[in-house]
Amino acid sequence: MNEKETIKIIRTACPAHCGIDCCGILAHVKDGKVIKLEPAVFPYEKDKRICLRGLSTLDITYHPDRIKYPMKRTGERGEGKFERISWDEAFNLIATKFREIADKYGWRSIGWVLGGPGAGTTKFGAYLRLASLTQSTRVSAWGYGDAGLPCGSRVIFGSHLPYIYLFGKFWQRKWPNLIIVWGTNPGESAPLQSMRKILDAKQEGTKLVVIDPRFTVTASKADEFLPIKPGTDPALALGLLNIIFKNNLHDIDFIKEHTNGSYLVRLDNNKFLRGKDIGERKANAYIIWNEKSNQAKKVRRSNKDAAITGNYDIDGIECKPAFQLLMEEAEKYTPEKTAQLTGLSEDKIITLAKKIGTEKNVNFFTYMGFTRTYHGDISLRGLATVASVTGNVATSFRSGYLPAVLNWDPFLNADPDTPSYHRLGILNLYDAVIKEKPYPIKAVFFAFINFINQCAHSTKIRDEFFPQLEFIVQTELFMTPNAKYADLVLPVCSFLEFSDFLPHPYPYVQLQQKVIEPLYESKSDVDIATGIAQKLGYGEYFKGGEEAFIDLMMDHPSLKDYSRDALKDKAMYLREIPEGGEFPLTFGTPSGKIEIYAEQLVEDGQALPVYLPPIEAPLEPGDHKFPYTFIQGHSRFRTHSSYANVDSLLKIEPEPVVEINPNDAKQLGISSGDMVSVFNDRAKAILKAKVSDAVRPRVINIMEGWWFDQFREGSVNHLTHDIINPVQNKIYEPNMHMNDVAVNIQKLGEGEK
Amino acid sequence: MTKRYGLVIDQERCIGCDACTVACRIEHKADVGFITVDTTDSDLKDVPSGVFPNLRISWISKLCNHCENPPCLKACPVDAIYKREDGIVIIDDDLCDGCRTCVDACPYGVIYFNEKESLAEKCNLCAHRIDQGLEPFCVICCEGQAIYFGDFNDSNSKVSRIISEKEVFRLKEDLGTNPIIYYVPPMEKREL
Repeated sequence: MNEKETIKIIRTACPAHCGIDCCGILAHVKDGKVIKLEPAVFPYEKDKRICLRGLSTLDITYHPDRIKYPMKRTGERGEGKFERISWDEAFNLIATKFREIADKYGWRSIGWVLGGPGAGTTKFGAYLRLASLTQSTRVSAWGYGDAGLPCGSRVIFGSHLPYIYLFGKFWQRKWPNLIIVWGTNPGESAPLQSMRKILDAKQEGTKLVVIDPRFTVTASKADEFLPIKPGTDPALALGLLNIIFKNNLHDIDFIKEHTNGSYLVRLDNNKFLRGKDIGERKANAYIIWNEKSNQAKKVRRSNKDAAITGNYDIDGIECKPAFQLLMEEAEKYTPEKTAQLTGLSEDKIITLAKKIGTEKNVNFFTYMGFTRTYHGDISLRGLATVASVTGNVATSFRSGYLPAVLNWDPFLNADPDTPSYHRLGILNLYDAVIKEKPYPIKAVFFAFINFINQCAHSTKIRDEFFPQLEFIVQTELFMTPNAKYADLVLPVCSFLEFSDFLPHPYPYVQLQQKVIEPLYESKSDVDIATGIAQKLGYGEYFKGGEEAFIDLMMDHPSLKDYSRDALKDKAMYLREIPEGGEFPLTFGTPSGKIEIYAEQLVEDGQALPVYLPPIEAPLEPGDHKFPYTFIQGHSRFRTHSSYANVDSLLKIEPEPVVEINPNDAKQLGISSGDMVSVFNDRAKAILKAKVSDAVRPRVINIMEGWWFDQFREGSVNHLTHDIINPVQNKIYEPNMHMNDVAVNIQKLGEGEK
Repeated sequence: MTKRYGLVIDQERCIGCDACTVACRIEHKADVGFITVDTTDSDLKDVPSGVFPNLRISWISKLCNHCENPPCLKACPVDAIYKREDGIVIIDDDLCDGCRTCVDACPYGVIYFNEKESLAEKCNLCAHRIDQGLEPFCVICCEGQAIYFGDFNDSNSKVSRIISEKEVFRLKEDLGTNPIIYYVPPMEKREL
């Protein structure tokens, strides 16, 4: 037999928690071993792709440090001393401990901390199903950096994520005339699904603006780069609005039809004027000023005669349309003031604003980066407000593909007759464990998360959080910094060793197909959840393994044309919008409109996308104890903390570095390669310096994801804080503010090296 | 007609990700990548040139240029280097005696010495893949889709069209080596 005959090629897909680029992959298998990975084709030829991490997957799967069997802690927590046990012992231990703790504190005191499942669905769903059956607590992981964007999007669009409104058409390869990449770096964090398209668009004439405190890979391709001070994005948004309004470049028809800009706001309490205030039968109806009849009227479907500016006395109540209030807020942000706040030049702000206002088709492209500041939710609202008042928000699709809808119900609430799980945000988990508020969490099950490494305020987790827990379980591939604190470590499969359904990347669905049997004694997350479920008496809900769960997840009318079998050898397009059809994009806000004015945040003083300074970042010169703003970029060499232990990638980037501007470095006597200490009241991180103009003066950057032991001391999250923004807590769940941190930096003395 | 295989690398589409290097190491089971990504105008990787905020950065992937007149071939004392009919320059492992003459002779610094095996190594344009009708592995793994492979003797090929339509350059053209790796420089910034 020649080699070709003995090699089997299986199509699978990488579910990594990147920008969910979700590359299709062909795995070459020989004698039960994967010998090579290569990019698989997609229905649209140009979507064939793989990244340097996906290429390096075999270095994860066959890594010598893989955890090979279940292990029970023998030393102190964090010490890394464990002994081998059997799976049966492990499952028994979990069931026994969970029951003990549930007897004492109730089942809700058991928290499932499910981190980044990436594009994976059933591996996530399996634990949710178990959480719902046991009525324990699901700890949502959005808050470890990804809750700020949803908080803002929920307020203005009434939707968890804003992408489809802001750049859904871009993902369908309908290029805008101008694309503004704001607070994100797809060049490293989403190179295939997003950056490639940006490059395609640019070659076909789209102009590119990048707004970022760092001169990123994406910024290197920009026609205009606006190096903004971290956390001042809402000020920039207001400054852009100022110029747009002053030059009458806003889209009045769009504002009337799709936003709540014409709704009258009472000046006595800043709430919307309602039907009941003017004797309308519909007590709760929003009221507008009809310019034709010169009367206050309740809102109707067509709002074309509504005023969006002015000041009105309605039965003795002074009112203004919401848009008028937005204009007045923006009026304060003159180019001069905006420039001073944001660190940008007046000229660049004015040019950009005029371009946004006069260019017909503008896409605002963003992700999570700029929402990782204390008021990051308002950053998103500011961006979205600029997009909305210039008519650059999609309100329907007339062609393209419909997003997949999955059958989540059996996972979110496995037994519809009983209540499901409790829910806590991951930043709320700190208080639940440390202060037993709002209720005690006493056991934690970590899956696909390197918690202490990736979550804010690591020293607090080490010193106050872990000591309060009675039982910690971790499923992992490696003995990560977090796994060392577990009482029980369970070996989990790499993605080549199990199957899952991946409804990504847009506009496709794919199968992550098991390529080889699980290595060593590792199990898939579905099988681990099944093992625990069986011991807890819920085995009947976990029959048939991953395949059964994939079938269940796909059991939705929107996916009736798809099956595991059909997806075996290919990715498939999502359902196409039929010719002549229209798919309206609805806004799930209280008004059903884009809410440029959010009544729900009146008491918080945030009804408008106001600018509130960052909580820690020392933006203005002054006598600061910690004068540098510390931010964390995302590196192409890692997906968060995954791949940080892969030798082939470490050959290119061997260790963490802190990037510092030459101006600052000169003052501090720091040269590239020097060991420096980055510190604040919480802790310090010791690592090498890299002097680079790629960061703003007075801002320093360390790429996130490096493991603790890759620093001489400390880590990025030794420096971050766990302060909760109560407004985010109220809207959805609080975010960790990794890009809103104050530090100082100094060169290590001779004796310290 | 005989083929003349080579690459066009578009710096505008290169995002400096190093996927080509990783892909090359995997394809050739090598410790080093025979294609490496340099940051232009900077000694430090990924550090831009200019002064904040007026910065620029681009990357250039360097690999064997499969020269029409390869200095390495002429320099090799044991005739271990040959040029295929399709233009690909190959080092024959069986003949190479590890004298490193070619490493020094290459004006581009893209021949690597494998200490373990005592062999000179370099990019072979994935000749084994080309012979199966496949593209070089770095080409299909390029994140930015910046690398185009093709036959420069075919005037209708993508690569031929690019070099006739766009401004292109080759490295150290004055040496007369006549490389078959072309580069498209990054686009100039446009006024908003």
